[in-house]
Amino acid sequence: MRLAGRLGGAALSLVMVAVLGFFLFRVVPGDPVVSMTRGRPTTAAMQAELRAQFGLDRPLLSQFWGYFTSLLQGDLGTSFTFRRPVADVILERLGPTLLLVGTSTLIAVGLGLWLGVRAAWRRDSAFDKATTGVALTLWAVPTFWLGMLLMMVTGDLFPSRGMRDTDTAPDFVSQALDVGHHLVLPSITLVAVVCAEYMLVMRSSLLEEMHAPYLTTARAKGLRDDLVRRRHAVPNAVLPAITLVFLRFGLVVAGAITTETVFSWPGLGLLFYDALTGPDYFLLQGLLVCTAGAVVVMNLLAELLYGVLDPRVKVV
Amino acid sequence: MLEISDLSVHYGHKRVVSDVNLRLAPGQTLGLAGESGSGKSTVAMSVLRLLPRSARVDGEILLDGDDVRTMSWGRLRAVRWASASIVFQGAMHSLNPVQRVGDQIAEPMRLHGTKGNVRDLLEQVELPQEKARSYPHELSGGQQQRVMIAMALACGPRLVIADEPTTALDVVVQAQVLKVLKRLVAEQDLGLLMISHDLSVLAETCDDLAVMHRGELVERGRTREVIANPQHPHTAALTAAFPVIGDPAHRWAQPETTEPRTTEEPLLAVHELTVDYGRTRAVDGVDLTVGRGEIVALVGQSGSGKTTLARTIMGLRKPSSGRVIFDGAEVPRNGKALKAFRRQVQLVLQDPASALNPRHKVLDAVAEGLRVHGIPDGIPDGEESLVTAAVERAELRPASLYLESLPHELSGGQQQRVVIAGALVLQPRLLVADEPVASLDASVRGEIVALLLRLRRELGLASLIITHDLGLAWQIADRVAVMHQGKIVEQGSVEQVLLNPSHDYTRALLRAAPNLGPDLGPQV
Repeated sequence: MRLAGRLGGAALSLVMVAVLGFFLFRVVPGDPVVSMTRGRPTTAAMQAELRAQFGLDRPLLSQFWGYFTSLLQGDLGTSFTFRRPVADVILERLGPTLLLVGTSTLIAVGLGLWLGVRAAWRRDSAFDKATTGVALTLWAVPTFWLGMLLMMVTGDLFPSRGMRDTDTAPDFVSQALDVGHHLVLPSITLVAVVCAEYMLVMRSSLLEEMHAPYLTTARAKGLRDDLVRRRHAVPNAVLPAITLVFLRFGLVVAGAITTETVFSWPGLGLLFYDALTGPDYFLLQGLLVCTAGAVVVMNLLAELLYGVLDPRVKVV
Repeated sequence: MLEISDLSVHYGHKRVVSDVNLRLAPGQTLGLAGESGSGKSTVAMSVLRLLPRSARVDGEILLDGDDVRTMSWGRLRAVRWASASIVFQGAMHSLNPVQRVGDQIAEPMRLHGTKGNVRDLLEQVELPQEKARSYPHELSGGQQQRVMIAMALACGPRLVIADEPTTALDVVVQAQVLKVLKRLVAEQDLGLLMISHDLSVLAETCDDLAVMHRGELVERGRTREVIANPQHPHTAALTAAFPVIGDPAHRWAQPETTEPRTTEEPLLAVHELTVDYGRTRAVDGVDLTVGRGEIVALVGQSGSGKTTLARTIMGLRKPSSGRVIFDGAEVPRNGKALKAFRRQVQLVLQDPASALNPRHKVLDAVAEGLRVHGIPDGIPDGEESLVTAAVERAELRPASLYLESLPHELSGGQQQRVVIAGALVLQPRLLVADEPVASLDASVRGEIVALLLRLRRELGLASLIITHDLGLAWQIADRVAVMHQGKIVEQGSVEQVLLNPSHDYTRALLRAAPNLGPDLGPQV
């Protein structure tokens, strides 16, 4: 019953996203055909032909219906700039983004939660003050600046542009090593920036549990301090962090616009940037639907997982 | 087995326990009584060195001859739970909410390498075995407390410390839990150090009694003698604060004010009232009246529907069927009329600390009702004079001393007076009080009861008092209505219902109620 309700809610959100994705870019001022043909001499006839090609001459509702039905079949339309199906373009960029943002998010979550637990457990210790201070500073620093700073500091140690070199040997091992080498700087930048969020959430959540009577019970039983923390405090304190972590996983798909742009990483963030500079309406629309869809799905997963981790919440 | 000598505990410069000496032999049961802040829980926690780091502990705490204060951490961990274990107060919070209770019971056994199994332990505390797979929130308060007891016995300790083990429970469940604890202590020949603010609970469980007051041990002796013949004035105050049902000295509601007023139309009349929550019938065909200036006690266990009934009377819930008549007219269900009605019926809640907004000054807390309902015309600087009058009515004098205070600067009793002042400021005609003294210390409790009676005498203020405490009903009420499973099973004058109960459930409640009366003391 409840599960059905949650699934229904998620489905409704997805439909809203689709509707919003369509109309949002229709109310933006500007003529897509004009921006598509900017810088090239065109005649009225050519513009009309383009309009017909992208279906822009049809009434709005008819356009929407066409968009909506093809969306259900996984067809996100055709990109103006790439002259290819939007879905193909997005899929092509998904891999690099998952590699960069996915890896960084996993590291940041792990590191952030661990640091948060350590800092809270020894509140006001030197460790707590140092980690909180550093994390806050990194959180406050502009991403592009941090990225450029890293490039300057590391010099030629790591490549700072793209995902692979063109002259790398085609075998898997060399390719993997090359990608890994390119991954270092952008992922350090991402981890440094987003880690603070997880750390601070975990820290404050654990601080709230620190005086819970069940921890006194655990101590009275004769448990070592680290067991009290691992078995009793953390399983309770981690719950508020779950929702945050999963929402972030959803946003992985959106890529990291600044980081990918600074390091010319060929992922969805860079694609977003390119689509915006176009502007490429169908591509933007497709990116929005995919990103928002991923967030909705991840949020659903977070709720389901929450029900497993916290027996007090009945999801199913 | 346990020997505490010259124990003092300081937090910074604040001394919370001073020079306490206690001895407990195996098989001995000792009750430690005192009000909140008397230092009794601090003594208990110091036995297993569970006080926060900021506490400075002086003196000697010998557990089986070893000083807990100077033990190494490893030795201390080995002693914890294996030599002495604790049944904490408020099992709901003392159990890990995301772990199955069976695992929590088994944890110390695995840790200390004790043989035994969870099944036997659950059987000892009379819980079905399948409860081992439950999470704490799936158990009732009584069941949670049994789990705590099973957990405390897991490693076969020789000393059990019980810190307010039954405080949050209602009388019937409290009696059951105490019975289990008493039986196990006797069977296994355990030493028991039981801490409570409730002398009647200690009287039922412990052979010896020690009384603490402001960090000091003021009296110590056989339970029976201490209660029958208290030496220290504080002990005397504690014993006097617990009403003995049937004792005319504890019947504070004066007989002359309790004449039946059948000629008059009642202030509040409830007819055939039924309230459903979904498919559950919380209140089932209730008839109840409160006369003008009358104090009626509505008694019953938690879950009997008494709070739902009160909420419906106040117009906070819509009844499924039936009527509530106030002052001759049906209680309006919405709009301005409902607001006007609410002005005349005010609510006093159990726990003043949570009923008051911690950031509102007394002035704002008391004036809130006026700000919602408006100030009657023709009163010069209305708000302040009305608030001052209400605060002084609630016996916080002079009012100017309190108006600017924040709730945390006041004691529990003063906080409850602020709540009462907040109700009085609207000049209501009926006070609905939900467990008005349950969270207060014994000595304060008597003052609040006296205040409610004085308000009735001076203002003709009628009250409906909701409580599970039959002693309170005996002390304050003119009439008693007993509620059980949504129905009023018996109602009548206090003497009639409490001294000659006609319904089985009333008799069961009376049996369960702890009593400091003549047949006092542990009946082992």
